[in-house]
Amino acid sequence: MRERRRQRRRLRKGERGHLIDLQKGQVAKVLGLHNDSAAVRRRLFDMGITSGVEIKIKKIAPLGDPIDIELRGYELCIRKKDMETIDIEVIE
Amino acid sequence: MRIALVGNQNSGKTSLFNALTGAHQKVGNWPGVTIERKEGRIKGSKHTLIDLPGIYSLSPYSPEEEVSRQYAVEEKPDIIINIIDVTSLERSLYLTTQLLELDCKVIIALNMSDLLDKKGIKIDSKALEEALHTTVVEVSALKGTGIDKLIKIINENQVLDNVHLPIYATDIEKSIKKIEAELEGSHQRFVAVKLLERDPRYQKSATDLDQQLIKEIEEKYGLDTEEIIANQRYDFITELRKKVCTFGPRKVTITDRLDKVFLNKFAALPIFAAIMFLIYFLAVGVVGSATVGWIEELMEGLSEWVSGALENGGASEWSISLVVDGVIAGVGAILSFVPQLIILFLCICLLETTGYMSRITFFLDRLFRKIGLSGKALIPFIVGTGCSVPGVMAARAIENAEEKKMTVILTPFIPCSAKLPIIALFAGHFFGPNSGIVSASLYFFAVIVIILLAYLLRKFVFKGENSSYISELPEYKLPNFKYLFRDVSEKTLAFIKRAGTIILLCSIVIWVLLSFNWKFEYGVEVADSILASIGNALAWLFYPMIGHWSWEATVSAVQGLVAKEQVVSSMAIIAGLSEDVTEGHLILAEGGAFGYFNSVSAYAFMVFNLFSAPCFGALGAMKRELGGTKAMLKAAFFQTGIAWVLAILVFLVGSLLTGGF
Ligand SMILES: Nc1nc2c(ncn2[C@@H]2O[C@H](COP(=O)(O)OP(=O)(O)O)[C@@H](O)[C@H]2O)c(=O)[nH]1
Repeated sequence: MRERRRQRRRLRKGERGHLIDLQKGQVAKVLGLHNDSAAVRRRLFDMGITSGVEIKIKKIAPLGDPIDIELRGYELCIRKKDMETIDIEVIE
Repeated sequence: MRIALVGNQNSGKTSLFNALTGAHQKVGNWPGVTIERKEGRIKGSKHTLIDLPGIYSLSPYSPEEEVSRQYAVEEKPDIIINIIDVTSLERSLYLTTQLLELDCKVIIALNMSDLLDKKGIKIDSKALEEALHTTVVEVSALKGTGIDKLIKIINENQVLDNVHLPIYATDIEKSIKKIEAELEGSHQRFVAVKLLERDPRYQKSATDLDQQLIKEIEEKYGLDTEEIIANQRYDFITELRKKVCTFGPRKVTITDRLDKVFLNKFAALPIFAAIMFLIYFLAVGVVGSATVGWIEELMEGLSEWVSGALENGGASEWSISLVVDGVIAGVGAILSFVPQLIILFLCICLLETTGYMSRITFFLDRLFRKIGLSGKALIPFIVGTGCSVPGVMAARAIENAEEKKMTVILTPFIPCSAKLPIIALFAGHFFGPNSGIVSASLYFFAVIVIILLAYLLRKFVFKGENSSYISELPEYKLPNFKYLFRDVSEKTLAFIKRAGTIILLCSIVIWVLLSFNWKFEYGVEVADSILASIGNALAWLFYPMIGHWSWEATVSAVQGLVAKEQVVSSMAIIAGLSEDVTEGHLILAEGGAFGYFNSVSAYAFMVFNLFSAPCFGALGAMKRELGGTKAMLKAAFFQTGIAWVLAILVFLVGSLLTGGF
C-alpha cells in the first residue's frame, strides 16, 4: 500500500506548516497534533510532543524514512507519515 | 516490602537492578530490554525488588508496557523506585508526574549521574526533591555510586510521603477534586485524571458529572482533555526543569559524529551487511577452522584414554561403548563448538550494548515496513541469532498485534547459536576455506526467506493496518567489559550446561536405540537397530533433499526438536557406532554413515535444519506469544513445510548447477 505524500514546502521563519516540512537546521514550535490513530496520538503526547515544545530535525534514515528529531534534550525517531500530523510554526 | 523499579526504556533499569540485587541480568542499549518482570532481593535486606519493562507513561502502548502499568497500579508495591536518565530529564519526569498521582511512595533515582559533568549539565537534586515533595537520590548504576545511599533510604524507610502536589491549572485541579470526591478505593487522584482524560480503561466507571466537567473544560480550551492534560503536565515539567537543571553549551557529540558514518545515506547498509557477515565469518570461518583441528585431536585422545582406562578397570564391552560411543561422542560433538559460540555471543552482546542495534532498527524500518513489519522486528531477529527463546520473547515490545505475531513466527528462521554446530560441521567439512562465506550465505539466505515470507504473510494472512514507529534513539555507549564478560560467560555456560543435561540424556537414549534391536538384543548391526527402523519409516521425507535413503540423517534431523545441536550429536553417535574400525570422530568421513553427503545435499540439509520447527524451548515461547497451542502448532507446521520445500529446491537447483544428476 503506497501512501500519497503532499509536496514538501520550504517554510520560512514565522510560517506555519507540518513537521514534515521542517528542514535540517531549522527549529520549530509545536502547535498541535491531529493523528487519526488515538493510540499513536497519545504516544506522541507521552513522548513529549505537546504544544509549545521546540523541535529540530537531527538525522534522516539512509532510506529517507523514519526521521530522527530532537526535542526536550533527547532524540526520537518517527515516521514521515506521523510527522504530517504535527502542526508547527518555524521559529528559527 | 515489595519495591518496584519503574522507568523509561533504556534508563538503566537493568543495570540498577543488578547493582541493587547483585543479580546478573541482561543489559542492552536499546529501548525495551526488560521483557518480563524479574524479581530479586535487595542486597543486605529482605525487600523484594521487581524490575518492570520500561514505560514512558501509565497509558501503555505495547503489550509489554501493559505489564508495568498493571503492576504499578493494581498490585500496589510498597515503594516505587522511579529511575530517571538525568540526561533526558524532561521526558523522564513525565512518567514521574503520573507515578506521583498513585497512592504509593516514590523514590526518584537520578541515574547516569556520572555523565552530568561530561555533558555540562548541572542539576539541583535538593530543589527537585522539594518541588516534587518526594525523595531524590543521585546514582550511577554503572559506576556504583549512590547505590548504598539508596539502599539505606529503603531500609530505614526514610522516604518522603507522597502528598499529591497540584501540577495542573486551577480549573483542572478543581475538576479533578470534584471527580475524586465521587470515587472510592485507592489511587483516587490517578483515577480522576484518567476519567478526565477519557482513558478507555476507565470508561466503565465514568459518570454524568465527569462528562459534564469534561465538556466544560473542552469548551473553554478548545482542545480535548487528553491533549490539555498532556500539555499541562509537560508545561509543569518544563518550568520545573528550568528551576532545577541547567545545560552547558551544546556540543557536537561523539554520537552525532558516529552517526554520520553509521547512518550515512550510502554507507549504512553496506556497513550493516559487512558487520553481520563479519560476525559469521569470524565465528565459523576464522575461529572455527583454527580450533576444529586440535579439538578433534583432543576428543580422540580423550576417548582413547577413557576406553583404555575402562578396559583396564575391567569394564564390560557395552559400558565402554556407552561412555565412548554414546556420551563422549554425543556430548563432545557439541562441546567442540564452544569457541565459535563464544565469538558469536560476544558479537551480539556488543551490538546490543553499544547502541548500534537501535540504529539498525531505525534505518531498516523503511525496508521492513514495505514487507509489513516494523523496524523493531529486527531486535527479535538479532537476539534470535543467539537463541530463539529470548528472540521470540523480545517480540513483545512490538505494539501492533499482527506485526508481533509475524515476528514471532519468523524469528526462529534466524540461525540461532544451537544451529551453529550444524552449520559449522557441514560448512567446515565441505567448503573448507570458504566455510566462513558459506555460513554467512546461510544467514543472508535466512534474511531473504524472512523478507519473502513476511511479504506473503502480510498479503494473505495478516492483512491489518501497519503500525507506527515511534522510538527513542539512544546515544552510543562504550561497552562495559564487566557486563560483556558476564553476559558471554553466562550464555556459554548455559550452552555447556545443556550439553551436560539434555544432550547427555539424549545421547544415552540414542546409544540405546542404536545398540539394541526390537527384541532388546545388544550388539546388533546399527542397520538393524530400533533407531534405524524408526528412521526408515520416515526417510522418504528426507530423500528428496539429500538424494539418498538415509535413516541416519532422518532421525538426526527429527531430534532437532529437542535441541538443534542434538542433530550434530546424534550424527556423531551414529557415525561412531557404524564405523567398522572405530577411530576418530570425523562424522562426515567418506565411507562412513554419512559419507554420501556432498556439498549440495549438505547445503540442502542445513537449510532444512535451519528453517524447520525450532526446539521445544522456542516452541514453548512461541506458544506463549501466539496465545495458544493451536496457533503454535500451526506456525510450527508452516515453518517445517517451508523448510522442506526450500531444502528440496536447494537440492534440485544445486544438483542441476553442479551437474550432479
Ligand atoms: N554512563 C552510564 N551508563 C549507564 C548507567 N546505567 C546504565 N547505563 C547504560 O545504559 C544502557 C541501558 O542500560 P540498561 O540497564 O540495559 O537499561 P534498561 O533498558 O532500562 O534496562 C546500557 O548501555 C548501560 O550500560 C549509568 O549510571 N551511567
